[in-house]
Amino acid sequence: MTSIKWIRKLLICILAGSFFPLLSHSQNLTVSGTVKQKLSGETLIGATVSVVEKPGVGITTNDYGFYSLSLPKGDYTIRVSYVGYKQELISVKLDSNITVDINLSDESSLQEVVISAKRDNDNLTKATMGTETLNMKMAAKIPVLFGEKDLVRTIQLMPGVKSNGEGTNGFSVRGGATDQNLIILDEAPVYNASHLLGMFSTFNSDAIKDATIIKGNSPAQFGGRLSSVLDVKMKEGNNKDYHVSGGIGLISSRVTVEGPIQKEKSSFIISGRRTYADLFLKLSPDFKDMSLYFYDLNAKANLEINSKNRIFFSGYFGKDDFAVSNLFGSKWGNSTGTLRWNSLLSSKLFSNTSFIYSNYDFNVGFNSDGNETNYNSHIKDLNLKQDFSLYANSKNTIRFGFNVIHHTITPTIAEGVDIESDKKSRKGLENAVYVSNSYKASSKFTLDYGLRFSSYSILGGDTYNIYDSGQFVQSIDLEKGEIGKTYFNLEPRISMNYRLNNTTSLKIGYARNIQNLHLMSNSTGGSPTDQWIGDSYNIKPEIADQVSLGFSKNFNDNSFELNAETYYKSLQHQIDYKDGADINTVPDIESELLFGKGKAYGLEILLKKKKGNFTGWIGYTLSKTERKIDGINNGQWYNAKQDRTHDLSVVGVYNLTSRWTLSGTFIYSTGNAVTFPTGKYVLNGMPIYQYGSRNADRMPATHRLDISATYQKPSKRKFQSSWNFGLYNVYGRENPYSISFKQNAENPQVIDAVQTSLFRWVPSITYNFKF
Amino acid sequence: MKNTLTILIIALVFTSCEKVVDLNYKSNQSKIIIEGNITNEAGPYFVKITKSISLEEAGPNPVIDDASVSISDNDGNSETLIPQGNGMYSTATLYGVEGRTYTLTVKAENQTYTAQSTMPQVVPFDSIKVEAITVFGDTEYNLIPIYIDPIEKGNNYRFVLSVNNKLVEQQFVQNDDVKNGVENTSFLSINDNDLKLVKGDFVSITMQCIDSTVALYYTALALMADSGPGGGTTPNNPPGNISNGALGLFSAHTVETKTATIP
Repeated sequence: MTSIKWIRKLLICILAGSFFPLLSHSQNLTVSGTVKQKLSGETLIGATVSVVEKPGVGITTNDYGFYSLSLPKGDYTIRVSYVGYKQELISVKLDSNITVDINLSDESSLQEVVISAKRDNDNLTKATMGTETLNMKMAAKIPVLFGEKDLVRTIQLMPGVKSNGEGTNGFSVRGGATDQNLIILDEAPVYNASHLLGMFSTFNSDAIKDATIIKGNSPAQFGGRLSSVLDVKMKEGNNKDYHVSGGIGLISSRVTVEGPIQKEKSSFIISGRRTYADLFLKLSPDFKDMSLYFYDLNAKANLEINSKNRIFFSGYFGKDDFAVSNLFGSKWGNSTGTLRWNSLLSSKLFSNTSFIYSNYDFNVGFNSDGNETNYNSHIKDLNLKQDFSLYANSKNTIRFGFNVIHHTITPTIAEGVDIESDKKSRKGLENAVYVSNSYKASSKFTLDYGLRFSSYSILGGDTYNIYDSGQFVQSIDLEKGEIGKTYFNLEPRISMNYRLNNTTSLKIGYARNIQNLHLMSNSTGGSPTDQWIGDSYNIKPEIADQVSLGFSKNFNDNSFELNAETYYKSLQHQIDYKDGADINTVPDIESELLFGKGKAYGLEILLKKKKGNFTGWIGYTLSKTERKIDGINNGQWYNAKQDRTHDLSVVGVYNLTSRWTLSGTFIYSTGNAVTFPTGKYVLNGMPIYQYGSRNADRMPATHRLDISATYQKPSKRKFQSSWNFGLYNVYGRENPYSISFKQNAENPQVIDAVQTSLFRWVPSITYNFKF
Repeated sequence: MKNTLTILIIALVFTSCEKVVDLNYKSNQSKIIIEGNITNEAGPYFVKITKSISLEEAGPNPVIDDASVSISDNDGNSETLIPQGNGMYSTATLYGVEGRTYTLTVKAENQTYTAQSTMPQVVPFDSIKVEAITVFGDTEYNLIPIYIDPIEKGNNYRFVLSVNNKLVEQQFVQNDDVKNGVENTSFLSINDNDLKLVKGDFVSITMQCIDSTVALYYTALALMADSGPGGGTTPNNPPGNISNGALGLFSAHTVETKTATIP
């Protein structure tokens, strides 16, 4: 730990002093503009804009498709490229600052909106580490449960990202807990990104343009969660023509409508998805009083005010509802809204201002003896975010900005007849200010470095109890608006890329991340009834320090890509609970908390084949993640439940003919770390199990093969359609969901381990259309 | 509440399968298990001392018959219990009285173990209410123990359920964290999928008023057994009230039994 502290101090000094030599040469002029897709007008994120006459000078477009290049006065040829699109060469005469907007044509023969992978050798040129961008076009072909393309399930096929298991919420990145992933949709955080206990995510792929996962080494503009950022961006909508597309499947259906508001200047997109298992249920008299459904609705509009200003509005609403007549009902859902304003303050300075709203709540109610009791909990965020990108000169791109979030967090409150509860909402203010620079030191060496300064303030309107080793010490009453305590933290971020030769590069990175919101859970697998809590007098911000080392090599003219990365992460202020703590009913959950530290380390290897009729990847992760908490396992290190030694994913997509595409995935993973009994005894006539060390055992391994086939029908005029057939779990393996211990029915002295599995063979058929 | 959610979702949407699997168990040191109960009914009261065995061992748990066991209360009474064989020790003169704190001392295998428990004031158990509900076309029955929780906060209850004279091996605990000072309306949430109450079944419930350390023990067991979405809490030896590393529980509680037949 001391070496990490030393590295931090050194970095802070370097960062402070490094921004001085960034004044651009006053003779340089700027060429800037936006790169879009020709057919639809969708902006292209990460397109490469370079200068033929000046190799080594180049930039990639930002989240809004904007680029800016500084060059001395003269004549140049600008080259714009993006995988899957025809490269464009544009001649420019640079004698003053000029704007050049570029439209790229789709390379494929199909008239389809295709947003595919970034540039060929991004993995060799960029300093970003632990980052994977999801190819949405490829994701559409990968078989997942029930035939639904799902970006969260596809991301889990990448090394370092593990699903928590079938039928469970959430995923874990590099040994982190489920709540350590910042999942944002057009910058708004989504607090529970699962439907139906984790079987589907809340992202309707038809509305999504881009999804990137950053496994801990995030640039300084991101913060708030320790282990990862899953940055999901919605499509803008076709600003030239109207289109309707959708799909009908066995479990759910979806439809998307998009089109221009003002041709080529503004557009909108509305996308909806709903399951209808419950509609079939209503046909049966036995099940008609049961409802089981979820829906997602994404809406977005963008308007060009003038050539320098643009406004975006995005909204997402989703809900899960499960009820059995008036006996039992549970619902949970997210709603998010973002209003953004892009402004070109100068040809070099791009600004984005966002107003963000996010809300997640769950409600569980049940009826007993004529009395209804409801348990309700929610979290609401109001967020103001300002980001600037300064394209200072050909070697430096600087980003800086600030972020202010006001959180309202309501713990689980019971309400009903005769229930009195004095639990109140808690408020917190989470702020951050950051600065970072992407520095192209030479054609061989790129350095991304930045510093984020964040704080969390405990706000009033509630009473906070302080405990010491579980014992109550004192109570602090905070008035509404009063600030109780503020935690400050510095988060340095740095990563470097050294290009060994044309096809190989080495990377090294370090990042500190802080987390001020924590998810409390009673269950080992996560449940929608889990509740969030902010920092308090007892709960300090969680801290993660991660160092990573990477190696990338491309073969056969960038058609094969091999990326290997190893990491070590040290975690502080980790939280767990005392035995017997029921987080939903205990009067003050802070009295049940235990604290300690953690560590996670591993090796990730990813081999991708990107070109040709057969594409795909093999991802393998070897890892370990442990915790050491005061009061658990006698204070000894123990495996975290998400510790899984081996994790292998093999994904293949084969274009059999111009109409048929086949794909398959195979996964293998070691079981989770669990605690099995080590002995047995009888107490008051009931068998009880004895336990030893925590999480010293393993669930049996999980492995599964899924296949799917897509048939693209010949298109009639504007109408395109395709059929997708899938089979999940081809060899019907009973993968373990849980194991419980029961006395054998014939011989009660013998204890049976009974394994429950969820899915064996699950076929699916989906019909997709577009016009 | 979570277990209803998951059982319904799983049972309905998919057919989950169950099978017996072979696992490698780590063995552990055999520990002393002390079970002691004092009730507000007339004595004798019993303490049972056994030892835990590994999961695969067949046969009954070994017993300890040569321990020295004594119980005292905070009213000046004290007694050394008489070994009965088979690991059992019984009192002869001690009375279980509400409000008293009892201290158990066991000297066995050259170690001393102590525990304390306070018997709460009795909360009368009125009756069992059987609530019939229709779920998916089937009639199911919920069992609601009727009692009136006192105004004071901190009441804990444990229910022992038998159906047709067979003990249901599940811990049922209720308290007044959410609803205080009113008549109870919460039913006993039964996990066992094999247990289905039908018309004519004979149900017997014993209500125990327990102190907070005893309640914590049974609540920990109940949370581990929760089969709700995501599973229960991580299993561990429940936080018992006996010192020096002994497993088990010493409980001073009131008892009252009521019965009912499913109509």
